[in-house]
Amino acid sequence: MAAYLSMGEAHRRIADYLSRLDDAISQSDGADLASLLAISSAPASTPLSDALAAFPDFPHLASDRYPHLSDFLPPLLRAIHSHSLRRFGDAYSSFEKAASAFLQEFRNWETPWAMEAMHTVALEIRLLAEKADRELAMSGKNPDKLQAAGSFLMKVFGALAVKGPKRVGALYVTCQLFKIYFRLGTVNLCRSVIRSIETARNFDFEDFPVKDKVTYMYYTGRLEVFNENFLVADQKLTYALMYCNPQSELNMRKILKFLIPVKLSIGVLPRRTLLEKYNLLEYADIVTSLRRGDLRLLKQALDKHEDQLLKCGVYLVLEKLELQVYRRLVKKIHIIQRQKEPAKAHQIKLEVLVKTLKWLGITMDVDEVECIMACLIYKNLIKGYFAHKSKVLVLSKQDPFPKLNGKPV
Amino acid sequence: MQIILTCLTQVHFNMATILQNMGTITITTHKLQITIPLSKEEQFNIQTAPGYATNNYYYQNDTHNDGSSGNNYAQSYQNYPSSGTNAVQNSSTVPANSFSYQPQYNQWPYYHNHSAPSPAVNPVAGSSNIDNRVVNTTSGYSYPSAEPPPPGTTSWKSNSGASVAPPLQAPSVQEPQNQYVQHPQETPALQNQYPYQAPGVPVSYNYYTNQAPAYQQTAYPQNNTNANQVPVSNHGDQQKSGSLTTDSSSENKIQIPAIPRIAPGFSMVIPKSEKKIIVADLAKKPAYVSVSVPKNDAKAVQHGPDARSVPFSLRNYGMRNLSRCKNDAQRAACQSIIQQITSKALSDGTLLTKNWDTEPLFPLPDNLLGMTETSSANNSSSLSKSTPKKRLKSRWEPVPEEKVTEKVEPVAKTLMNGSAHHNFEAKNTSGNNWNFGKFDHSAHAPLNKITQRPFKKQKMGSYSSVIRNGNTSSDSDKEQDLTKYYASASALANSPEEKKRREHRSKRFEKSKDSSSKSRNSVVNKDVHTRRPISALATRSSENGSSLAVEDLDWDALTVKGTCQEIEKRYLRLTSAPDPSTVRPEHVLEKALSMVETSQKNYLFKCDQLKSIRQDLTVQRIQNELTVKVYETHARLALQAGDLPEFNQCQSQLKRLYKEGNKGCDFEFSAYNLLCVMLHSNNKRDLLSSMASLSKEAKQDGAVKHALAVHSAVSSGNYVIFFKLYKQGPNLNSCLMDLYVERMRFEAIKCISRSYRPTVPVVYVARVLGFLLNGDDRSEECEIWLKAHGAILSLDNSGELQIDTKASATTLYMPEPENAVAHGDASLAVNDFFARTSEKV
Repeated sequence: MAAYLSMGEAHRRIADYLSRLDDAISQSDGADLASLLAISSAPASTPLSDALAAFPDFPHLASDRYPHLSDFLPPLLRAIHSHSLRRFGDAYSSFEKAASAFLQEFRNWETPWAMEAMHTVALEIRLLAEKADRELAMSGKNPDKLQAAGSFLMKVFGALAVKGPKRVGALYVTCQLFKIYFRLGTVNLCRSVIRSIETARNFDFEDFPVKDKVTYMYYTGRLEVFNENFLVADQKLTYALMYCNPQSELNMRKILKFLIPVKLSIGVLPRRTLLEKYNLLEYADIVTSLRRGDLRLLKQALDKHEDQLLKCGVYLVLEKLELQVYRRLVKKIHIIQRQKEPAKAHQIKLEVLVKTLKWLGITMDVDEVECIMACLIYKNLIKGYFAHKSKVLVLSKQDPFPKLNGKPV
Repeated sequence: MQIILTCLTQVHFNMATILQNMGTITITTHKLQITIPLSKEEQFNIQTAPGYATNNYYYQNDTHNDGSSGNNYAQSYQNYPSSGTNAVQNSSTVPANSFSYQPQYNQWPYYHNHSAPSPAVNPVAGSSNIDNRVVNTTSGYSYPSAEPPPPGTTSWKSNSGASVAPPLQAPSVQEPQNQYVQHPQETPALQNQYPYQAPGVPVSYNYYTNQAPAYQQTAYPQNNTNANQVPVSNHGDQQKSGSLTTDSSSENKIQIPAIPRIAPGFSMVIPKSEKKIIVADLAKKPAYVSVSVPKNDAKAVQHGPDARSVPFSLRNYGMRNLSRCKNDAQRAACQSIIQQITSKALSDGTLLTKNWDTEPLFPLPDNLLGMTETSSANNSSSLSKSTPKKRLKSRWEPVPEEKVTEKVEPVAKTLMNGSAHHNFEAKNTSGNNWNFGKFDHSAHAPLNKITQRPFKKQKMGSYSSVIRNGNTSSDSDKEQDLTKYYASASALANSPEEKKRREHRSKRFEKSKDSSSKSRNSVVNKDVHTRRPISALATRSSENGSSLAVEDLDWDALTVKGTCQEIEKRYLRLTSAPDPSTVRPEHVLEKALSMVETSQKNYLFKCDQLKSIRQDLTVQRIQNELTVKVYETHARLALQAGDLPEFNQCQSQLKRLYKEGNKGCDFEFSAYNLLCVMLHSNNKRDLLSSMASLSKEAKQDGAVKHALAVHSAVSSGNYVIFFKLYKQGPNLNSCLMDLYVERMRFEAIKCISRSYRPTVPVVYVARVLGFLLNGDDRSEECEIWLKAHGAILSLDNSGELQIDTKASATTLYMPEPENAVAHGDASLAVNDFFARTSEKV
């Protein structure tokens, strides 16, 4: 709290803010309006929030002076006030009221002049909801604000995803929704939003702003990772990476975090410099294990980063790399055998494999190893067959280890 | 803020003139009357064209008023007193205006006093405003940004507050349609209408919607007459103002010569030929024209009075009016009014000269009283009473009306009151003056409130038509617009305002002292789902009269305490509030549980019993270890019986119970959960979150470890490991795996037939695919299974049965399950279910 404010000064500040808001609305100044609505980015003590503290009757002031905005200004001021007092739950509730009023109006505005402001509202409501939920969880209450923000943004999406000039702004809200859904773990709710974005025939996806497209592709790419549609995931994440602002390394890192496992699973390995540049060294051991066919290293790496990998949802993808590591191992054995006795190089005895694995510290019985070889052949990682009677893996003489070439396992 | 300031400056000027022309009270009042609509008009313009033009206009205005007003714009608050004439007067004006800021604290009371009733509409200000708007609406004319500074300001400047000025402005401002409708010279003639219309005024006294236009009319004559009339008309006493009109007619002469002076000036700035351009310009900005609901058109034309002789514009006018009618009675009344208008127009020869396009719609005759009376006043009456749907499309849109009225109101109000007392009591010391104004104001507040309501509605109606029509013209796609309109209309039905109103309405009922209906009401409103069983209880519990929200209900008080001592109880889904005499208390339920556990009867019986135990627990809100035990028992039994739906129910309850800290076998059940997710729902995300939520201790638990091992076996397709794990599953893990075995085997045999060459012994397959349970050789079973799935078997040289993998690779298929049912879910088939469950008994 700053120095004591006179009532008059407080009143002046509030009135000034209100008139700026009103001017922004009446003059259709979207940018100005947006900056006035960005409440959560404001520090705790601003001239305005001090004024609100010093002049507690501000809702009356607002609704009396601007009766036509009476469902918007008082809750907005209340939200700013509560936010400055770090009462985020209250701030969220008030802000949602104001936002609803704003949305109501926004719907009626023909032109999308207030798009920037609408986006600010969408962002603010999400940020506030996150803060409010943290606060609620701390006090042992049910954190349901983010969910409420989700349903509010869904309404916003409904207002934007229509024919006409407002549609350009729909993708931004979609991305905000994604962020909420991913945080809440209700990713299945993304589907309806995606459908209405992707099935729209009257609006080309490319016409959306680039930043929104990148975010959208990032999230939908992640969804495809969940669904293990690696090819689509690769497309989307690659798109996101390509159009991502190269200056924002954090975003690049986020994209790579998912793109690398996807690429690994379709047989594309990253250079170590890339991992180092973007500080993604949790993948370094996995990549090494893929290069070396070191099964033990893979298991260690997965164990080591299990929590982290589970959290970001790529654990299952990386787990599946196991077969590729086996393949690499078989290939290595094949290469060694070819050097020793080229004539029999394409026949790998099962006991050799079992021994190799034992040497790696993995004890498996013959049946299990046999099964793995069968699987490798079945999944086209190895060309050849397994002769059960003689317990020999017979490799095809032509290209026994076909490249994945972007095909997922 | 700027708007207000302009207004204020004007007010200020008025005050100045009042002081200067102390003797000529009549004129002063007149001026006041004029300036208000004036200022409103300019604001109207400003608001209509939201862009920069507004500002330009604004600055213009400022400069006209006084150079220093420019500062007002920038600084918003304190500068306007410097605008010039009388410092004392200024300072007194400031506090009275709720929008101005003065640093003295003692003026805050003023602020509140004045600002509080601001929603109450000052009748004169409001009504005149409406009239202006109406003109816009119907004429297809709006006051665009191109409009010059209102004559008021200009003349103020040039005449510097001379008493001649007000009458000059009066006609041009008050009757804008005359100005714009190509008969600027005819203004005096139109003024002659006033006496004629005046009689309509007293009749519509109670009917505010109709009153509004009348007000406008009466206000006008008042200008010329007596200061006393101003407060009178302000308070809604129409009788006197009606009588005034005679006086005014005599005074008209004074004004007439003045008008040509101003009128050319007007037309100079807005040449009529530019009308079209302005309209076109408007097409871009919403604010204009022509109310017509197409669906009624044809009908309306037919009903139109004397369709042949009447000019097209008049027919249109009639149609517009008719189109607003909601029912036949109204339509009929409407028609008679139109006929009257037409005949009147015929009789005074204005039928062809009058611009019907600009003619305001008359109020809809929705009661009989209003119906007959409004007809006489229709020429100047406002568009009104449109359906609530036709409301303002956007209440914030830089569209003027609302803002204007509401902002000007206080000014006008205080002005009116202040000046009234000024005149009445011949006081010119400003401080007292304002005090009186305040007092006066508060005294009339109730009246204002009463009158305000219908008026507001009307206002809304006219706004919407302005805007909506503006949109229609701006968009060529009419159909789309119509749907848009309806969408917006329905959106408005849900607007906060509407909601507030509804809430208010519903609160009326809440206030009634009938406690039972009230509490029921609140419960019903709050939560439909809990309504039925609870309502009765809620009524009972909240007899003290305070209405309780569901979340405030004292659940403990509502909770049933069972008295039933029977151990066995059949499950019956509750359809009403539970009866304590049929609910078993906790200790009986414990017995019931152990009875189920030791019972030798089949799963169906146990399931039924457990369900009734669960119900009794729920009803009594018992959530403890017993509850956990009941659900665990039921879940296990369900697993053993393969009753997955029931298992899932128990599982979800258990998850919640464990989360709330009730002890139980939660590792066992998190293992089940993992298996369930990975083998049955096969949702990667759920699996991830289940895996991520495992605690370190849980991961050390044997059952969980087993489940995780199963997961990796499944994900890598390692059937050997899978069936090994299948054999050694702890708890009931194997029961869950059971449900996946068939799929895993088929996957495996496909894999085998693809990768093995030339043959694989059946014995080996039987071993790795888990056909050999407990060591006994059941390879025959495997053989049968293989054959059922299309594998091709052959005997080798040593007589051992082999799978011909190459041949089998193409012939394998998944057979239809024998117990397949038409609806696709075998577990729902009663016969099958009986068969399965009786087996286990």
